[in-house]
Amino acid sequence: MQGRNCTTGKSSTAFKQELLKNLLRGLRARTDACAFSAMSVHERKRAVKSSADVAMAAARGVGARWPKAILAAAAASTSSNRSSCQVRSSRFRRVARRCFFREKRRGPAAGVAAASSVDVARRLVRRRTMALRKVIPGGDAAMDEASLLREAMDYVVHLRAQVDVLRRVSEAMQIRSSLLRYAPSSIHGQEASSSMRQ
Amino acid sequence: MSGRRGRISDEEINELISKLQALLPESSRRRNAIRSPASKLLKETCSYIKSLHREVDDLSDRLSELMSTMDNDSPQAEIIRSILR
Repeated sequence: MQGRNCTTGKSSTAFKQELLKNLLRGLRARTDACAFSAMSVHERKRAVKSSADVAMAAARGVGARWPKAILAAAAASTSSNRSSCQVRSSRFRRVARRCFFREKRRGPAAGVAAASSVDVARRLVRRRTMALRKVIPGGDAAMDEASLLREAMDYVVHLRAQVDVLRRVSEAMQIRSSLLRYAPSSIHGQEASSSMRQ
Repeated sequence: MSGRRGRISDEEINELISKLQALLPESSRRRNAIRSPASKLLKETCSYIKSLHREVDDLSDRLSELMSTMDNDSPQAEIIRSILR
């Protein structure tokens, strides 16, 4: 099972619980400010994604750079409203640009035996390192290779946890809303009465 | 352990590389060429992060749709938390 060497400070479950708590709080805060039903589809999606990222970053805390970068970006976007919209769309631009970094293999140029495979390999590593920096929040900051690899590992581990939490929340909500639709009165006693009544 | 040192030892890099490799999905490990493991690894890591990003995007979309069809009561949130514990 992967993750044996993971470098998280907290246990996986503790992190997910923290993430979940932050996520629910964040979503509630947003819906308090502006009801989801009043937002456009796009605004709603953006709000949820942003809440998920902020929740993940806040749950991670210190010990890595990427959380700070996420929180800084979120703070900037709330104040200026310029948006995580830019971050989102540039994410897709990056996906499109993947092809750009495909390795170009050339035979040794005539007469320039010094353009060795070592140089090509080095250039390739450099290009791919740059590409990696772009997908890690705060990866653009000056840091050596080893730190970048550590950031990447840390980020991957916590991204996976974020995916897991989001998946479970969606499933739980899905189950819940179908239960409500078909048998509103049969939900467990305590919570059923007050909140579920439509 | 900030990036102030001039050179990180090869050993340390190799250790990080193998740890990172352990995190990536199975398929990328099998195809790993000896020739330039570093660049292969960087590419796989980059791809993996991007695919995780896509997953998060899709799940967030789904979640936002689900939320829009529900009441916005905060008790909902408490209930969900209790389901997931």
